[in-house]
Formats: sequence, structure tokens, C-alpha cells
Amino acid sequence: MLTPGSPALPALTSEYATDPDMRDLVAEFVDAMPARALALQVALAEQRLRDLQRLAHQLKGAAGGYGFPTLGSAAGILESTLKSPGLKSADPAPLDRIRTQVDDLIALCSRAVAGPR
Amino acid sequence: MKATQNTTPPAQPSPQPNTPSDQQPGTAGPQTASQDSQPRVLLIDDSPDVHRLLSARLRTENLTIVSAANGAEGIKLAAANPPDIVLLDIEMPEMDGFEVLRALKDNPATLDVPVIVISGHSTMQDKVTAFDLGAIDYVTKPFEPTELRVRVRSALRLARLVRMLAQRAHIDGLTGLWNRTYFDSRCAECVSTNDRHSRPLAVALLDADHFKSVNDTFGHPAGDLVLQGIADILRKQCRATDVPCRYGGEEFAILMPDTAPEDARILCERIRNALEKIVWTRHPERAVTISIGLIGSGTRCPLPAGKWVESADKALYAAKSQGRNRTVVADLSSLGPKLAMAG
Repeated sequence: MLTPGSPALPALTSEYATDPDMRDLVAEFVDAMPARALALQVALAEQRLRDLQRLAHQLKGAAGGYGFPTLGSAAGILESTLKSPGLKSADPAPLDRIRTQVDDLIALCSRAVAGPR
Repeated sequence: MKATQNTTPPAQPSPQPNTPSDQQPGTAGPQTASQDSQPRVLLIDDSPDVHRLLSARLRTENLTIVSAANGAEGIKLAAANPPDIVLLDIEMPEMDGFEVLRALKDNPATLDVPVIVISGHSTMQDKVTAFDLGAIDYVTKPFEPTELRVRVRSALRLARLVRMLAQRAHIDGLTGLWNRTYFDSRCAECVSTNDRHSRPLAVALLDADHFKSVNDTFGHPAGDLVLQGIADILRKQCRATDVPCRYGGEEFAILMPDTAPEDARILCERIRNALEKIVWTRHPERAVTISIGLIGSGTRCPLPAGKWVESADKALYAAKSQGRNRTVVADLSSLGPKLAMAG
């Protein structure tokens, strides 16, 4: 079970944590993080790579807007890998890379905190 | 063609789709768009996060945001009620943003709606494709809120100016009525609607009587005031669906869609009577009258637009030769079936 703000690594605080217009929205975004991480895990386990790419793309577009640019960049890296032409070959290396990148992204998701409420 | 001169008081109009009492007068002619109305933004994006984010970031802009979660829904919403601007994502399942953009630009109703692409894609090729398809701006996600706000503001300002210029190109400078160019295009549309859907239509040509002598006797500024006065009467008497135009010189035209000849005659008589009663500040001793040639059909009349105007002109000539200050009506209704059979 993913716990927001896991104590193992420093928390990722939103850049907009103190923005009164954004505080509630950021909190909602962080609250939805476990569900998002689960969706990434399931898509990977079922090898639904198109869905995985879409999830990564949406996270890339949104995370920065909610004040988590590191999360957005990690999602962008995963999206690029999923789009690379090498993915269609029989070589298992890209799939291993994807697994690692999904794990990294989920780890980042688990560290996201909205900041003081 | 049956030509009758109207000399009797206006009769009660027969039930028709559009009668002179259907709508409040004084709403016809070019309208100035309200400056303080809230612009509508249509956001087409499959990510609920982006919808929430954009709504929050544009809250201070006094906009109405309409949301579409996919391309097909966005196209439908835009066509049903064209927004002032579209914010469009590119990567969406089923129908991507480029297809949506193409569809918006293919539809005359949404062709001129400015589209800002807001996409996670930042390659040169994506930007070139978006601009080639008609986007006016391209913002990459994650977007900087202040930059997005000023880009939306700038696009709305530009769209407002373009709309205003397009409208001005169709407005007569002296009278503020629609001009001849606008009349020609709307007349063709109305005639086509009459032909295809068998909807009533009336077209009137109005010419100020002895206008040259007003100019010669009281000067051109006085003549201009007369033309403006006639325009005011047309604006006041015509209904919102009527299209009053300055046809040229001292000649005016009114398109009356969905109006049967008899109802159109009542409207024309109101205009003629109202003008006759005006006491002009510059020449109180000299009244101004108008002759009106009216042509109309309650049913389908498959004549080209040029023939409608030509027939109205003939009726106008008849009004002049019968002594001026009168309305002569040419009813084409009986001609429709004959023409259709002949054609």
C-alpha cells in the first residue's frame, strides 16, 4: 500500500503549497496519488503499454502544473521510453527499463505531499 | 406576376411564421457585441487534472469555461454553440487534437474560433502541424499560469478585433445599416432557403422620393440627415429577423425572411407612414416620402436572387410612376408552382 509522504526518503512538497488558489487542488491531486500509482502498476503488470503511455503522458502534463516538476519529468522519461521504436523488438531490455522507470515514478508519487494544509 | 397597389389601411395579418407583431421592433440591423459579456472558453482535454488546473488558473480572467473530455464531445459542443476560444490538447484517445482542429476548421460555424493548443508535445513537427491546421498559439504543458493567462487574453483580444473588422466591412458608414455587399450575400442565402425549404420570403426596395431636390435645395448635410433618419425608422420598425440595408444612394432594401407578402406589406406601410410624419429640423416645411417596391412569396419560388431584386425594382418603378409615396406589391406565390413545373 502506497503511503503519501513515506518517511524513507524526503517528501516532495508542491511548489504551490502556499498558493491560496491552488492549495485545495494540490491536496486533491496528492490524495489521488495512490490510485494513480496503482493504475501504473496494473497497466505494467498486464502489459497494456498504450494505457501506460497515456497515464505517463497525463502525469507529465499535470504534475508540473500542480507544483511537482520532478514528478512531471519522471513521467516524461517513461513516456519517451514507451514511445521509442525499440519497444516493438523482441529485445527484453526496453521492458526492463520501463519496469525500472515505473518503479521510480511510483516512488516519487509516494513522496508527494501537498504541504501545510 | 400580380401587381397591386396598397391604398387600404393595414389589414390583420394572416397566420404566418413571422408576422410584423411577432417581435419587438427596434432590434434590426448590425448589433454591437457587448463588451462586458463573459467570453466562453471551451477546454478539450482528456485529463481531469488539466480541467481542474486550468479552471483554477483562469479563475481571475472572468471567463466561462466549458469542458469536453474528448475530441468528439468538443466538436459537438463547439458546433452547437461556438465558443470565443478553444483550448485544445493534442494527445487524446480515439480522436487526437489534430483531427479535432481539422474538424473545427472544416465547419463554417467554428472556422473562425481561435484555437490555442495546450500540449505535452513540444517537438517542432507538432507545433508546425498545429499552426498549419489553423491554431493561433501553442503552449506546452506544464504551462506557466501567468503566461497562459496573457496568451488567452491576447487571443481573445485579437478575435474581438477580427470580428469587429469583419462586421465593419458590412456596415454602411453613413447610416449604420448593413451595406450592399451584405445585402447581396444574405439575399442569396434567403432565396436559397425559400427554394429549398419552401419558406416565405419578402424583399423590399425603398427609394426616397425627389431626394435630389432635398440635396439641391437644403444642401448635402441635410440630405445626409434624411438618409440617417430613414435608417433610424428602418431600425425601429423592422424586426430582429429582418435585414435592413442601404442599397446605394437614396435607395434602401429590406430582406424579410419567413414573412409572407401581406405581412411584409404591413411592415412597409408602417415605415412609409412613419417617414411621412417626420418634421425635419433643417426643412420643416418639406416632408420626405418614400416609394416602396415589394416582392414576396409565401411558398417556394425557384427564382435566382438577381430576379427577386429585379422584380422588386420593377415594383418600385411602378410605385414611382403611379405617383410615389406608396407601396406596390408583387406577389410571386402563384408563380412558384408554374416555375417549378417549367424548370
